[in-house]
Amino acid sequence: MKPVEAPIVFNGEWLWLGNLGHVFVILSFIASILSAIFYFQHEKNQLSAGLIWGKRFFQIHAAAIVAVFVVLFSIIFFHRYEFHYAWRHSSNSLPVYYMISCFWEGQEGSFLLWLFWNALIGLVLQRTAKTWESPVMVVVAFAQIALGSMLLGFHWGELKIGSSPFDLLREQRPDFLNIPILGQLGVGNYLQVFKDGNGLNALLQNYWMVIHPPTLFLGFATAIVPFAYSIAALWRNNDRGWIAHALIWGLVCVGILGLGIIMGGFWAYEALSFGGYWAWDPVENASLMPWLIMASAAHMLIITKATGRHLFTSHLLTQLAFWLVLYATFLTRSGILGEASVHSFTDLGLSGQLLLFLLAFLALGLVVVLQGGKRRIALYVIAAVLLVPMLLAYSIHTPETVETFYQWLKGLGTLLFLGWLVYYVYALYQRTKVEMDEEKLDSREFWMFLGSMFLILSLVQVFAATSIPVFNKLFGYKTAVPSAADYNRVQLWLAMPIMLLMSLGYWFKFRGTEWSAIKKPMIQLGIGVVVLTVLLMFGFDIKEFKFVLFLSLSIALVLANTVYGYQKKKFEWLRWGGNIAHVGFGVLLMGVLVSSVNKNILSASKEGIDLAPEVDQKGNQDAKGIKFNRENQLLYKGKPQPIQQYTALYIDERKGTGVDSIDKYFKVAFIKKDDQGKTVDSFVLEPKTQNNAKMGLLAEPSTRHFIYKDVFTHVNYESSLDRKEPFSNFRIDTVGFFRPFITQTGKVVMTIDSINRSKDSNGLRIQLSIKAKRLGDSVWLRPEFLINEQTGSFDMLPAESNRFGIMAAILNLEIIDPNPATQNIRFVIQTGEKTPVWDYIVIQVIEFPWINLVWAGTIIMVIGFVLAVLNRINKQKQLTS
Amino acid sequence: MKPFHLILLVLAGIGIATVISMYGNTTQYVAFPDAQRIAQENPGKTVHVVCKLNKAKPIVYDAQTNANRLEFYGFDSLNNESKVVFTKPKPAQFEHLEKMVLIGSYDKDHFLATEILSKCPSKYEDAPGATTASR
Repeated sequence: MKPVEAPIVFNGEWLWLGNLGHVFVILSFIASILSAIFYFQHEKNQLSAGLIWGKRFFQIHAAAIVAVFVVLFSIIFFHRYEFHYAWRHSSNSLPVYYMISCFWEGQEGSFLLWLFWNALIGLVLQRTAKTWESPVMVVVAFAQIALGSMLLGFHWGELKIGSSPFDLLREQRPDFLNIPILGQLGVGNYLQVFKDGNGLNALLQNYWMVIHPPTLFLGFATAIVPFAYSIAALWRNNDRGWIAHALIWGLVCVGILGLGIIMGGFWAYEALSFGGYWAWDPVENASLMPWLIMASAAHMLIITKATGRHLFTSHLLTQLAFWLVLYATFLTRSGILGEASVHSFTDLGLSGQLLLFLLAFLALGLVVVLQGGKRRIALYVIAAVLLVPMLLAYSIHTPETVETFYQWLKGLGTLLFLGWLVYYVYALYQRTKVEMDEEKLDSREFWMFLGSMFLILSLVQVFAATSIPVFNKLFGYKTAVPSAADYNRVQLWLAMPIMLLMSLGYWFKFRGTEWSAIKKPMIQLGIGVVVLTVLLMFGFDIKEFKFVLFLSLSIALVLANTVYGYQKKKFEWLRWGGNIAHVGFGVLLMGVLVSSVNKNILSASKEGIDLAPEVDQKGNQDAKGIKFNRENQLLYKGKPQPIQQYTALYIDERKGTGVDSIDKYFKVAFIKKDDQGKTVDSFVLEPKTQNNAKMGLLAEPSTRHFIYKDVFTHVNYESSLDRKEPFSNFRIDTVGFFRPFITQTGKVVMTIDSINRSKDSNGLRIQLSIKAKRLGDSVWLRPEFLINEQTGSFDMLPAESNRFGIMAAILNLEIIDPNPATQNIRFVIQTGEKTPVWDYIVIQVIEFPWINLVWAGTIIMVIGFVLAVLNRINKQKQLTS
Repeated sequence: MKPFHLILLVLAGIGIATVISMYGNTTQYVAFPDAQRIAQENPGKTVHVVCKLNKAKPIVYDAQTNANRLEFYGFDSLNNESKVVFTKPKPAQFEHLEKMVLIGSYDKDHFLATEILSKCPSKYEDAPGATTASR
């Protein structure tokens, strides 16, 4: 008989906390299922108790989600590294305000945040949806079931459902229990080794990263409401009452999402070193796509509400907006983007589950659109289509099964999916088409429709380009991800008709307009736009035709909406919403144009010693070299260097606070003088680097903000990254104060000038100030000597100067007279030499003219959305009362 | 045909034209010899090469001579070797890079990269590496 192995007892774990969290996860999951069932019964079978029980279970669900949030935060706050999530995403040194950012670094935390917002939205809907509560809440609760399942972390044989944020480190990483040091300590005491976490991604340690992701997530989360109303309306036999509700929530979504997107841009601009606020990165696009379509959908809803037309398009676009949110989640969370994006992703092997999530919501649409027998058939087909991949997806554990699954998906799956989509759109059209006579070309609805369609065109391009990694995976293509220039080239032209229609739209009346009534203001506006364009094209220095055209359209957008608002609404600010949002968008696009067309890389000058020209075989300067090769300049410490109109001076650097800080701040002064040599402008920037072992050199830019421009700089390289030449020519001297001594080669003369004693918990610290002179130049060296009085051990901290190529260390003290006042001490000093090098930094300096217009435009736009939402709510209230 | 449908048709046309022109402009991930051929046929066209750093050969970056020039050798996915010149400062931890995507074009005897997208090495072997781009 084999001896029974005693189970290992793990010491110091707070397992109860994780168990508590897990209980809340399960509670919230079950509550969301019950809520959905009761709401469904109330809607379908008029179960009168269904409404109240649906309500209660959803409230329980919401409370449980908050509890999960609190538990996860506690785990991070109390540094409980026995939990994988805390170990993976946080560390002891993480300040409390960044702990919240841990939630969006990990996938489980992101799902939790989404659940939280959805729960909050659900609670708001319980108060505002009135007669629509039960069908709408069925959809919201259904989403919560799907999202909640992502957190379950059930392992049942080969089956894996969700990934729990409360998984244990030792279960996630059993290899950690095999590390040699635990052999002595005992495996049960592993927590004594794992005293610190892996840490939060350095890029996320920025205050904008504390507020940008939750804003964006809230924007994403609100997209479910218009979708839910659309589904509810179809369910209720094509009821028209959903439009006003969906419109309000659609506007809320566009406003918050827009704000979240630009916040992300601002973070990128302030904290990342790519030199801009928008790079057409797949993750940025993933948030832009739902915004574009929701903006389009909101306009369609306005048309449908006012005229009854385009009901089909309203339904389709509101639903598409939500699907695109799900698609964006799939893109950013499944790891499919891989190298295509600068953002980092984790793949928890939930791709299958995410795909199912997407398909489940598509299925929901199909079920409510079809009626009678067709609905039943559709249900069977969907069940079959969903079950097969579900079984496959959930049994994925080996790379082979993943491969099989993808093979299956590629062939039949893609075809089936497309067929499903086409059939769905057809069925939706049959169900919601409106028989009305042709709309007039002079009606507002016509121009709004056209504008919405151009937004969709813009979306089509972004979608097609961003999805390239998906197509590559599906069909085995090898297409490279398009560059920012590819996007700009297309989007520049698509933005122009959108701006034109946004300027004109308001002047037309619903159902038809008297041309004579708008002829005069149109001509006046036209003249105004031409005059302002001429003025501003010189003011902004915009010359190329297409950019002038773009500028004039953005001016038209601002002018036309301001004039219209004033003429029609005077000071009834609540009614100004749409116009103000349009003005904001115009200001934003104007800022985008001016700041990118005239973005000026100041450091790309042809002067300076680092700019060795590339010369081809014939001795001509290589044009390509000049174009690409000159964006960074090298600044020696203390040596002024002209950078276009400025003189840049690298003054000094300092380490970040904290003993083991890997942050370095470089002080760079920028001075601008006029012809008389008088300083007209000067400022100091402190770009930061973080030489991160995991992520390489992270450069955080430093920016000087003016009203009309920004000067932006970041350090791309610095001399301490060079391979160090070791010191040699060592020499030892025993010297007292003020007695000159020389280095081995005699090139540098040193004198001990003063001593500084201090006492702290580590013992006695002696610091010498040594003056080193070479060729009339001098530098201070401050080596230190530490004596631990308890143990009697000592330690030395040498000092060095790269510029002089020397080092000095205190090896020992010889105290001749114990009275410190006489300073009769002699020091054993070791000196060493190497080739002198100047410290330097390699920086890029960029000037962004009028970038403030981008931020100002965003703020104006958000104000517009707030007013529009308030106005719509007001109207809705008046209607119901 | 009603004018409304005509407009829808025109819009669809613009949409299709946009997508086709965009895909026409995209490049494939290529190997170094292809990049060389493309550069001869179509000078200045940028291509993407998936590249592995040759750690046995020297990586030359001397900021004081030219801060905007990094030279190294790399293998493409088919194991062809080529000299690569990158026109920006050397990314830190560059020596430890496992895989990168070079964006640029072939120039005489070397690949001239104007951008390098890289997946940085991680402290822990399975910890998902954050991707950073040097633009």
